[in-house]
Amino acid sequence: MLLAVFLLVSIFFLAACTGKGDKAEEGTKTEEKTTTKTEPKVEEKVEVKDPVELVMYSWRPEDREAYEKFIKVFEDQNPGITVTFKPYKSTEYGTILTNALTAGQGPDIIQLRPYEGALSIIDAEFIVPLDDIQGINEISDEYLTAARGTDGKVYGVPLSLNAGVIFYNKDVFDEHGFALPTTWDELLEVGEEMKAKGIVPIAQAGKAAYLLSLTHSVIGATAYDQAYIDDLLSGKADLADDRFIESVKRMEQLEGLFPKDFIALDDKDTQAMFYTGQAAMYINGSYRLETFENTAPDLNIGILPSFAKEKGGETPLVTWVDGSYAVVKASKHQEEAKKFMEFMASKEFGQMFSDELSRISAIPGVEPKHELVKEMTALGEQNPIPYLMLVYLGGGSPTTKTTFENALQGMYIKELTVDGVIDESQKSMDKWFEPVK
Amino acid sequence: MVLKEQDVIEVKASPKPSKNKRNMKKHLLHLFLLPALFFYVGFQVYPILAAFVNSFYSFKGMVRQDFIGLENFIRLFTEEPFNNIFKNAFWHNIIYFIGTVLTKLVLAFALALLISSRIKGREFFKAVFFMPKLLSVIVVGFLFSLILNPTNGALNSFLKMVGLAEWAHPWLGDPKTALYTIILVNSWYGIGFAILIFLAGLQAIPEEIYEAAKIDGASGFKMLFRITIPMAMPAIMIMTILTFIGSFETFELVFAMQGSSGGPYYSTDVLALFFYRLAFGSVDGGEAIGLGSALAVILFLIICTATAISLFFFKRKEIEQ
Repeated sequence: MLLAVFLLVSIFFLAACTGKGDKAEEGTKTEEKTTTKTEPKVEEKVEVKDPVELVMYSWRPEDREAYEKFIKVFEDQNPGITVTFKPYKSTEYGTILTNALTAGQGPDIIQLRPYEGALSIIDAEFIVPLDDIQGINEISDEYLTAARGTDGKVYGVPLSLNAGVIFYNKDVFDEHGFALPTTWDELLEVGEEMKAKGIVPIAQAGKAAYLLSLTHSVIGATAYDQAYIDDLLSGKADLADDRFIESVKRMEQLEGLFPKDFIALDDKDTQAMFYTGQAAMYINGSYRLETFENTAPDLNIGILPSFAKEKGGETPLVTWVDGSYAVVKASKHQEEAKKFMEFMASKEFGQMFSDELSRISAIPGVEPKHELVKEMTALGEQNPIPYLMLVYLGGGSPTTKTTFENALQGMYIKELTVDGVIDESQKSMDKWFEPVK
Repeated sequence: MVLKEQDVIEVKASPKPSKNKRNMKKHLLHLFLLPALFFYVGFQVYPILAAFVNSFYSFKGMVRQDFIGLENFIRLFTEEPFNNIFKNAFWHNIIYFIGTVLTKLVLAFALALLISSRIKGREFFKAVFFMPKLLSVIVVGFLFSLILNPTNGALNSFLKMVGLAEWAHPWLGDPKTALYTIILVNSWYGIGFAILIFLAGLQAIPEEIYEAAKIDGASGFKMLFRITIPMAMPAIMIMTILTFIGSFETFELVFAMQGSSGGPYYSTDVLALFFYRLAFGSVDGGEAIGLGSALAVILFLIICTATAISLFFFKRKEIEQ
């Protein structure tokens, strides 16, 4: 009896394996074509190449519709290759990707976090270098840094540039006659006027700590400058430098301009404050432009890059590469995946990307249709400054960026002082950071 | 009754199944366990063993590197910021356990006593209290995040509506209240299950003991402390142990309400969140999986040791009784 059951199970198992094997066979296969009944039976053997399906992971479920359009264009140009866009929630993406890559199964193309976020995947040799693909050399070297390995090779095609900006509600400013602040002092002044009229000056959420470091990058961009960043990178300065301390002090001062209990608010809560005119300004990445257009298309908004130190001073725009796309080493379709990468590095894709998603493309020569995107692109070309914490201080475990933004939370709940924030962040940085020689 | 010869022959004619056949049947039954065993080993035993092994290795990104002995464990306890985060999260787990015992278990026991007395609609109350347990923890976390939202949440709006505006509070944004708020939500979520367990314990107490106590003139208070609680001790112990395990494993609710860093500024951080951040939340750290595995092993040992000690004392007390 036992033997009979075992044999039965074995037969089913073998049958299943055989079926699987047949399906799994890829590449060319012979297909039998039979003519209609009226004609004499002629069996001809035609060589048919199986279509290749590329699976692409992303952390942008909200971009699905746009990606499906881009993919359609690629598929029309490349018959025989289909691309399946599989987006996951941003907060779960890292875990899903880690599991898929470790298991050696899953995607052919992946969206890669920028800078330090890409390094662990590159160093673990899960993705292949893309230095040889067409169009990659046209992209600015500064942007390619976001997906460069420690070996100097480029492992990803940078997709878009993000800019940290101050969005302002033009209608709120016009209605109440507020002057548009261009300097730090003007911001504090107009902020008080707004509070007096019951308007929240800046809709800032603090529940997700990363929003605080993003705001710091925009607010602090004129407290420190590119010269300070260069000094920091070369080891001539550290975080206890007056210029950086000033930037954290500005964050402390801003508390009065944020909504009540902002540390318990989500980004969605503060977005709603901004849409509904309860708040005059909102600081976030340029990617929020698309969110605004979908949620509140009639919202009359403008952007400010940063607040100058003094009247007529420089207002740099904080920029960083949002993410890149890379080809997984374990993919069986390297050639086809690289073809898709070449498509993503093309001006055609960059233009579509910018037009559909109102984002700043990393591909040179793209002319944005959207007025605000055009404005941001121009500002970024004139006077850019990197997002210090993300671009240069994303190393360590936990990262210095994470330590810094959590410490900012600590400052707002009165657990830490400005010096405490600097001290925690510097200690984190000391553990891994090596000055560029 | 006299047995006829024919009957004897019929009995003899039905022989017992041979030993081999009986063994085969036994083994066949084992075969049915195999699918469950396969999943248990694959999804429970293997990850635990893998975590044990990984905790002794260094990692570069997601790739295992060299055997480093106890270094991951030593770093967790001695190196900043890991040691501080560990201490802080461990302390929160303890508070979570004590808070849950004081709110969920005490209240559940009181409600179970009430339901086990002859009140009307006891089945209805049992169902109502158990209902939250039917929801997913993530859903509960999300719902309470909305209810507790400081600007437009239902709780603060209600307080303002009834003239208690000064009581309106950023419940999850203030480090003084955030952890206790989560404990209360967890107690609301799990109280129904505790009530059911306590009810089962209370219903097992023979009615005669109470009757005898009443004849002896025992007051209700005396009966509660001398009869009900001691005799319901097995249920109380089981719930306490389960609460301890649950408190040290707690993850989903805190994650859903406060995110992976247990904000604000680690004020609701617990060991499982710390583990998540180490092992999965920051793959950019490049050494996180080894440290994360070491933390998982420590968590496993804490839960195992505490449970074993509790069970030992519980058994001893049972024997004494």
